Amino acid sequence: MLRLFGRRLLQGLFSIIGASIIIFVISRLSGDPIVMMLPNDAPLSAIEEMRRTLGLDRPLWAQYLIFIQHALVGDFGNSYRWKMPALQLIMDRLPATIELAVCGLLFSVAVAVPVGVMSAVNRGGWVDRVGRVFAMLGQAMPAFWVGLLLILLFAIQLNWLPAFGYGSASQFVLPAISLGWYPVAAQTRIVRSAMLDVLDSDHIRLSRALGTPERLIVWKYALRNAAIPLLTMLGVYFAAMLGGAFVVETIFAWPGVGRTVVEAVFARDFPVVQAGVMFTSILFVASNLLVDLSYGLVDPRIRDAR
Amino acid sequence: MLLSVRNLQTHLHLRRGLLRAVDGVSLEVAEGETLGLVGESGSGKTMTGLSLLRLLPKGSGRIAGGSIQLDGQELTTLSEAQLARDIRGRRIAMIMQDPMTSLNPVFSIGDQVGSPLRNHDIARGTALRGAVVDVLRRVRLPSPGERLGDYPHQFSGGQRQRIVAAMAIGCTPRLLVADEPTTALDVTIQVQIINLLRTIQDDTGAGIILITHDLGVAASLCRRIAVMYAGQIVETGPVRAIYRSPSHPYTQALLAAIPRLGAKRGRLTAIAGQPPSLIDPPTGCRFAARCPSRMAKCAEAPPVVDLGDGHSASCWKLAS
Repeated sequence: MLRLFGRRLLQGLFSIIGASIIIFVISRLSGDPIVMMLPNDAPLSAIEEMRRTLGLDRPLWAQYLIFIQHALVGDFGNSYRWKMPALQLIMDRLPATIELAVCGLLFSVAVAVPVGVMSAVNRGGWVDRVGRVFAMLGQAMPAFWVGLLLILLFAIQLNWLPAFGYGSASQFVLPAISLGWYPVAAQTRIVRSAMLDVLDSDHIRLSRALGTPERLIVWKYALRNAAIPLLTMLGVYFAAMLGGAFVVETIFAWPGVGRTVVEAVFARDFPVVQAGVMFTSILFVASNLLVDLSYGLVDPRIRDAR
Repeated sequence: MLLSVRNLQTHLHLRRGLLRAVDGVSLEVAEGETLGLVGESGSGKTMTGLSLLRLLPKGSGRIAGGSIQLDGQELTTLSEAQLARDIRGRRIAMIMQDPMTSLNPVFSIGDQVGSPLRNHDIARGTALRGAVVDVLRRVRLPSPGERLGDYPHQFSGGQRQRIVAAMAIGCTPRLLVADEPTTALDVTIQVQIINLLRTIQDDTGAGIILITHDLGVAASLCRRIAVMYAGQIVETGPVRAIYRSPSHPYTQALLAAIPRLGAKRGRLTAIAGQPPSLIDPPTGCRFAARCPSRMAKCAEAPPVVDLGDGHSASCWKLAS
């Protein structure tokens, strides 16, 4: 278990370094930040002066090494735009993003587990059929469209929930549903097929033969087995939600990392982009590690594996 | 009589058609008695066992006729809920074939052995732990008290079969259906499990139905044997009578197919041909197509011929 964890940690480290190189190079291919920062009629000498102060006149690899050197001590430079440390800017926005991703994940699991289980138990029944239609809808509807529809229905027509903003509990509902909508389909399917497999296994047959009530068989003895493939998937989706929340954040004016990074990209605010992407990739790796660890909680066979 | 099955008919509704998996089986088990249900795969012996608990494939399986009485109580008319509450695990318990897959991999054995005790209100709360340790001791699992928190993968195959047995006997059932309990195990472990079943029977006086294709295992544990072929019982009787004077041609062929130590070397006799399809079984004797002593009469259903001493067989040859 420990060795497995160590190996995953090392792999994660390489992923983070790789991500940092890619984002560093790509952001510099996207254009010149100086142009955005100075007025159009600025003299050439002022542009050169600015470039030197920001260190943008050095070769790319030298810039990268400086970046890594500073990043290791938590210094991602100052935002060109906001004139404050990029790291602080990201850290300020991080809680909102994590909260949104957790809520989105909770929503998707809260729908996928009961629907998946009921679909498997009453295979071909109405839950199964309705669930399948919804799963298809979920996969076919992109998050921005779901978000707009939700706003249209619940905020504008019914006036039940606020359309945007961050702070109160009611403001979480629509963004979390928009974010969690897409993964519901895949999660429902994996729960359903895992449950079908488990319900057909010898140990469940033995449980039945010994008179275990069906309720316990389904929700206790079978479900914990079916949770193993679901967990794997959750790690991937949680990470994707952290990194992919920018669409939903933009629609709902959510003060999260995603929206901040998108704005920084448009402004060529390199330090903020780099800090944001670095942080997202670290979270990505961390959430996958967390899933690896949680296997042990659910599956005792992994706990003992060396 | 502890268990009395009369003319049991179990049907499987498959896409290919109606499969008569069990077609008119009658058998009896007395208290403390072991009945061996012997036959090749597909002969309907497992389906007979599952029918007793009505654990047939959901949707396709159905008991279409006959009666199953346990201590005089009819089981075929009970509701699913009554079966789960009063019969399964409580008065009839089952031991499955493969101990490697019969235990839930993600629950501790303490939880699993305790489950029938909890569900049938035998023990709860603080008494449960003691009851679980006690039943694990009865199946001779080494140091049970320290291993309640362990998981199935931490045990060997033989130990797992002991744990499965512990789950089955926890509520001291009147009848134990053991479906090929030794097939998946090494020979040395097989002996241990057979001895375990014998001990359980001595302790609790339960009746046992041992389902097996292994005539040796059946002979070592059973007092009576019923031989199944194509969904029907073709011969039944005391172990000695069956082995010394097998009367049905199928039983004779089955015994001739067993390799024997010390016998002159030679080819083992296989039974020519295949068992008939149970979707559209032949009228008359089902073994006729493979039978060396086939007669014209065999196109009609053979009578059950009483050979005395509880020994009987269904064959025209014996009737004449």
